[in-house]
Amino acid sequence: MNRKTFMNIIKDWRVALLIILVVLSIISIGPHFDENGQFTTNLQFGLDLQGGAWLQLEFKSVVAGFETDQPVSQFIGNLQNMTDAEVIQVTENKLEIRKLYTQDELASLFKSAGGTLTTYDQAVSPATGDDVKRIIENKINILGTKDAKVNTLTDLAGNVKYIRVELAGVSMSQAQQIIGKQGKFEIRVQTTGNQSEHLIFGDSITNVGVPTQDPQTKAWGVSFTLSEAGAADFQQGSIKFGATSDPDNHELMMFLDNQTVYSAPLSPDLAQKLQASPVRQLVATTGGGTEGLDAAKNLEIHLRAGALPVDVAISGSGGVTAERGVQTQYLVLLAGILALVAVGVVVFYRYREPSIVLPMILVNASEIIILLGIARYLQQLDLATIAGLIAVLGTGIDQLVIITDEVLHEGRVPSANLYEKRLSRALGIIVASAATVVIAMLPLALMSLSTLRGFAIITMLGVIIGVTITRPAYGRIIMNILAK
Amino acid sequence: MGFYKYDVNRYTPKQMVVIPLILLVLALISVGVTWAQTGLPVKPGIDFSGGTAVTITTTQTDAQIEAAFSGFPLQPPIESGVLSGSKYLKFGTMSDAQLQDLSSLLNTMYPGAYTIDHVGESFGQNLQSQAILAIIFSFIGMAIVVFLVFRTFVPSAAVVLSAFADIVMTGAVMNFIGLPLSLGTTAALLMLIGYSVDSDILLTMRVLKRQGKLEDKLAGAFHTGIIMTSTAIAAVIAMLVVSWIGQITILLDISAVLLIGLIFDILNTWLTNAGIIKWYVTKSEPSAQVKAKPPKPEKPAEKPVQAKGKSASRKEKK
Repeated sequence: MNRKTFMNIIKDWRVALLIILVVLSIISIGPHFDENGQFTTNLQFGLDLQGGAWLQLEFKSVVAGFETDQPVSQFIGNLQNMTDAEVIQVTENKLEIRKLYTQDELASLFKSAGGTLTTYDQAVSPATGDDVKRIIENKINILGTKDAKVNTLTDLAGNVKYIRVELAGVSMSQAQQIIGKQGKFEIRVQTTGNQSEHLIFGDSITNVGVPTQDPQTKAWGVSFTLSEAGAADFQQGSIKFGATSDPDNHELMMFLDNQTVYSAPLSPDLAQKLQASPVRQLVATTGGGTEGLDAAKNLEIHLRAGALPVDVAISGSGGVTAERGVQTQYLVLLAGILALVAVGVVVFYRYREPSIVLPMILVNASEIIILLGIARYLQQLDLATIAGLIAVLGTGIDQLVIITDEVLHEGRVPSANLYEKRLSRALGIIVASAATVVIAMLPLALMSLSTLRGFAIITMLGVIIGVTITRPAYGRIIMNILAK
Repeated sequence: MGFYKYDVNRYTPKQMVVIPLILLVLALISVGVTWAQTGLPVKPGIDFSGGTAVTITTTQTDAQIEAAFSGFPLQPPIESGVLSGSKYLKFGTMSDAQLQDLSSLLNTMYPGAYTIDHVGESFGQNLQSQAILAIIFSFIGMAIVVFLVFRTFVPSAAVVLSAFADIVMTGAVMNFIGLPLSLGTTAALLMLIGYSVDSDILLTMRVLKRQGKLEDKLAGAFHTGIIMTSTAIAAVIAMLVVSWIGQITILLDISAVLLIGLIFDILNTWLTNAGIIKWYVTKSEPSAQVKAKPPKPEKPAEKPVQAKGKSASRKEKK
């Protein structure tokens, strides 16, 4: 290829766009050496490629649709009495029952409570799902585990069915311990400066409420109840260390795993009450506005010491050691390179013309680079996504073959006019088959329960990038090369 | 390469369709029997039926491994990768406590490189029903796109039928060689739905939307289509070999299913679909058939060395 042809190719906007995107993608992938001299990139790898563990939890809870002739609050009250479980109204005709019943059991319970069961789903409402997610995230943060992902998996009805926790760099049994572990909660009283004395531990807290807003002061707060013994300890300690006589200099401090999570003085009226007798019902206020609400939500979690509002069971788990992860990284890299070479050999066997085969392979490889460059922001690379990448490589080359054959049909490329016609005809075939691939993958991309979403998303993305960017560019490149 | 010797034009539509049709019937029987037995067209694997899978890297023999895991419900056979010492073990359902024990056993006995994956039964059930729905929706979606593209019944139906045959035949072979339906193989089947219509669309577009002799168009489409499927097969074989060496189960499953499916795709595109489209075209345009017969259609126009494109104009007028 001479210089002039080369410049012609570069000047075409489709080709220029391709080149710019490849450069941007390489920057985005960011291959570099880290401080230890290890080669690394910005790509995020999934657990199976870097080592770590995952846990999937299911809820011992039911989201049930209901119909009743009675006032709803009375129906809920009836249910609560009969089940001894927390029953929460989710929407107008849906309840969350925080205890696991089979559909038959629940249907008969609903009947005797004066209603009928219309839908049954072992799940929690999205709000509860978010709570559980937040609690687990908090727990992981406190333990200082890095690289953790907590995701809720929603079913078609919009309820949260599972929660999936991924922890890099730990084994499966460690992950179970981390998630199953309860934090150590303690309330202490400030003595002088940074010094403090112990009042009670978390086991003295018998009940924790949800954040509520004081109608007068508009301040958010979380109520909690102490056991009788706990309330006595709390009173004695408060008096002894001066929290009742001089609240402002002797704040109450709450610790979770030895970290301060809350600190505030006793309110004047509570200080007065405590002088006289133990108090079991307490409220910790966090201030007004959304800031106060967020703080209250966190405080609720801390008061529960990481206990979840709903019982969970492990529905799936797994782990990959770091060594195996790295091994797999090399293997998939090898698979990718081998696939590219194998594809190259086949097309070379067919065309016997380096000036056709080389651009084909380069365009194909550029497609993968662009895909990786974009994927870095969307999706961590796991084994399934890698399979998607290799599939994209396979379909990509197919479509370049369609373009080449369509254009080469009847010999060398004729006039530019005719060439355009043929190219657009080839692109017609390509768009049609790309559309089928995208449609075929769509259900998988929407299938929230599966770990194959990444695979589907990458395949669809790859096809779209191919149709809009790389294949038109290849059409130009091959035209200029053949027109020499 | 034997493929290239196949002449699409040598046989009548009936001759072309008969072999795949017999295979399709046999495949439907196999899939149907499995369906009756397990409630699924292909036997479900651990992902869907629940259980635990472990991959370890070890120099131990299978007997030693069986002894090491004697306290757990290990299900033979143990699958081995070549050269890498990777072993793939399957276990039946276990309690959470047993699972913890298994995990610590792996930590102490095979501290280097192992993977463990456990799927609970109910989660597997949920996944399974979603997977089946995904395959059905994906197929329907594909069929809609095909019908929108061609807007005529017989050619569209031919494409959809050969995609359907691909999937069913692949399912039958999976049953035959004991490859279970898992998340990976479901993904591969979905990909096959997308992949397999590639060459069908090419064939149908070339035959319906281009002018020229039917024989030339068929031969040209075959020439292009076979290379497409060959490149895809080459990429898949690369993936298959590497994942087999390293016992990377999910990649192994995906590439095995794709390979089987692509081979059937050659059959179904160039016999089933080509047969039907040939019948459709000769039936609806009998005059074209008479014109298309002269001397011998020896794929004359395909070599790049030919006259510089002047003759092309003959076919380009639309």
